[in-house]
Amino acid sequence: MHNLEQLQNLEHRLVRCFSSVFPDLDEAQIRNASIESVPGWHSLASVTLISVVQEEFGVQVSLADLPSLVSFAAVQNYVQHHVAS
Amino acid sequence: MKLIDALTLIRRPLPENVPVLRVSLACGFTPLHFETFLTAALCERSPVERMEVTTGLFGDLAGNIEGVRPAACDVLVVAIEWQDLDLRLGVRNLGGWRVAELPDIVNSARRMLARIEKAILTAAASLPTYISLPTLPLPPLFTTPTEQASAYELELRQALSSFAASLATHARIRILSASHLDEVSPLANRFDLQSELFAGFPYQLSHASVLAELLAALIRNPSPKKGLITDLDETLWSGILGENGVDGISWHLDQKAHIHGLYQQFLASLASAGVLTAIASKNEPALVQQAFEREDLLIDKQSLYPIDVHWGPKSESVRRILKTWNIAADSVIFIDDSPMELAEVKAAFHDMECLLFRKTDYQGFSQLLRHLRDAFGKSIVSEEDSIRLDSIRTAAALRNSSNGEGTSLDTFLQDAKASVTITFGRDKEDRRAFELINKTNQFNLNGKRLTESSWMAYFNDPNSFLMTVSYDDKYGALGKIAVLLGRMQGKAVTIDYWVMSCRAFSRRIEHQCLSWLFENLDLREITFAYHPTDRNKPIQDLLASISTAPLSKDIRISRPDFSEKCPPLFHQAKATVNA
Repeated sequence: MHNLEQLQNLEHRLVRCFSSVFPDLDEAQIRNASIESVPGWHSLASVTLISVVQEEFGVQVSLADLPSLVSFAAVQNYVQHHVAS
Repeated sequence: MKLIDALTLIRRPLPENVPVLRVSLACGFTPLHFETFLTAALCERSPVERMEVTTGLFGDLAGNIEGVRPAACDVLVVAIEWQDLDLRLGVRNLGGWRVAELPDIVNSARRMLARIEKAILTAAASLPTYISLPTLPLPPLFTTPTEQASAYELELRQALSSFAASLATHARIRILSASHLDEVSPLANRFDLQSELFAGFPYQLSHASVLAELLAALIRNPSPKKGLITDLDETLWSGILGENGVDGISWHLDQKAHIHGLYQQFLASLASAGVLTAIASKNEPALVQQAFEREDLLIDKQSLYPIDVHWGPKSESVRRILKTWNIAADSVIFIDDSPMELAEVKAAFHDMECLLFRKTDYQGFSQLLRHLRDAFGKSIVSEEDSIRLDSIRTAAALRNSSNGEGTSLDTFLQDAKASVTITFGRDKEDRRAFELINKTNQFNLNGKRLTESSWMAYFNDPNSFLMTVSYDDKYGALGKIAVLLGRMQGKAVTIDYWVMSCRAFSRRIEHQCLSWLFENLDLREITFAYHPTDRNKPIQDLLASISTAPLSKDIRISRPDFSEKCPPLFHQAKATVNA
C-alpha cells in the first residue's frame, strides 16, 4: 500500500474512533474537532477516545500525553508517528 | 468486544416503547469502560430492551450497595476488587505494606466483607443481585516470594470464599464463577496500572470486556434446554449390543471404556437435576431390556424415559419422545456416535441441537460435557425437578388410558384419586411461581414474562393475589404446577397471568382453578387478560370451550356460563388462604 493510501486509511479509521465517542459530529466536524470546538470533549471523553484509539491502532498512549492530544489533528499526528515507529 | 463496537452498540436506535432494564452497578473504581461494556453486552443479549446503567461514588463500594433503592432499579451488579476491602490492598493508597500491618489488613478486609454481605442481603431481599469477586491480582504486599502463598493471602482468600459461599445460597444472588473467568481472561492481562493511577479504572480493556460479558450472561441467560436424547451403542456404552452381547458392552477403565462410564454418570447427574433423558436406539428391544438389567450401569433405568428401541429411522424415535415429553425440538439435544444418524435427525428437526459422540477424542469429550453442563445449567434445583419424569410417565399412562374419549377420561380421572392443593394469598417469595410464569409457553394466558422487579411491584396493588396449585394422584405427585396472578374488584376478578405446566394437562386442573375461584370468592365474573401467542394453543382451546363469545383481548366468563360448560371434576380440593 502506498503512503498516501496508508494515510487515508489511518484517517478513515481515526474518524471512526472519533465518531464512536462523539456521535453527534459529522465527518467534516470531526476532521476539525478540537477540545475548544466540541462541547462534550471533557476529561472522561478524552480517556475514552484515547482508549478507543489505542485499541484500534495497537499503540500504547501514555496518559501523561493526554493534555497535548486536544484535537483531531494532534491525535492524527500522534498515531502516525507511533504507528510508523 | 472492542470498545469502539461497544460504544456504537449502546447508542443503537430503539423504538420508544421498548421495555427498560435498570441496572445499578456498584463498584469502588471508576466504572468508565466497564459500564460501557456491561451496557453493550446486555444490549447484545437482549436487543429489544433499553439498558439504563447507573453507578455510585468512587471508592465507596459498601456505601454504593447500601444506597441502592430497589424501586429505582431492576437488578444490582456488584463488582468487588481487593481495594474495596481495604485500601491498602490497592495501589492508589500509600497506607503501608509493612509486615506489622498485614494482620490488620486481613482483619479490616474481614470487617468490610461483613458490611458488604449485610448490604447485599438487604438489597437481594427485593433485587436480583449479580456479584463478581475480586478479579485482579493482589499487589505485592506479602513478604513471601511470588511462587509461595502467604498465610495472610490465604486468610484473605478464605474470608472471601466464606463470604461468597454464604451469599451463593440466596435465591436472588448469583456469583460469577472465578474459575470460568480464569479460562477466558488470563490473570496477567487484567490489571492496567497506568489507567488505575490516572483514571481510577483498573482494568485492561480486554478484561473489562470479558468480565462484562460474563456478568451479562448471568443477568440475561438463555433458558436451559429441557431434554437429552442419547444413542446406546458406542455412546452410552462401548460396543455393539447386537454383536458383543449384554456382557460384551463396557464402560469401565479396565476395558478402556471409561469415557462411557463418565457419560453415564453425567447423564445421571442431569437426570437428578430434572433434565429429561431418553434413549433412541436401533437395536433389539429384548436385548436392550437385558442390558439395562446390569447392576453396574451408572444411570438408573428409571431415569431414562422413554426408551425407544427399534430398527426404523431415529427421527421416528425422536418424534415419539418429543410427543411424550410434550416439549419443542429446540429444547432438546440429541447425541449419537453416527454422523449419518445425526444428519437424519437434524433434517427432521432443524431446531434440535445434534451432537456427535466421539469415543476416541478425549479432549472433544471433555468439551462435550462442558457444553452440556452449560446448555442444561440451572441456578436452583427445585422439588419439581425431582418429580418431573414421574409425572410425564403418569401423563403418558393417562393418555393411553383415556385415548381421548370423554367417557373414558371421566372414568380415568374418577379412579385417579386426585387432589389439588390451592394456596391463595400474596406470597411474593414464592420462587417456583415466579419461575413457572417465566418458563411456561403452552398453557400461558398471554405469553407475558415478569422481571423480578415487576413481580414485586405487582403486589404493591392491595387487590392483587397469587394463587398456586399443587397436584397429586395415585400415580404420584406433580408438585406445584399452576399459577394465577390476578386482582379482585368486589365480586369480579381479573386474571393477568395464568400458567400451567404441560405435565398437568388433561386432568381438568384448569377447570378446578376457575371453579374454586368462583365458589370460594363468590365471584360473578372472571376477566382474562388473554393474548394469543404462537404457542399457547392449550389455553386458547380452554377459553374457547368455556366462553360464549369469540376470543378477544379481555375475555369475560360469567359464573352461570362456566357452570354450564365445566366438565365433571373429581379432585379433592384443599385450600390454604393466607391474609
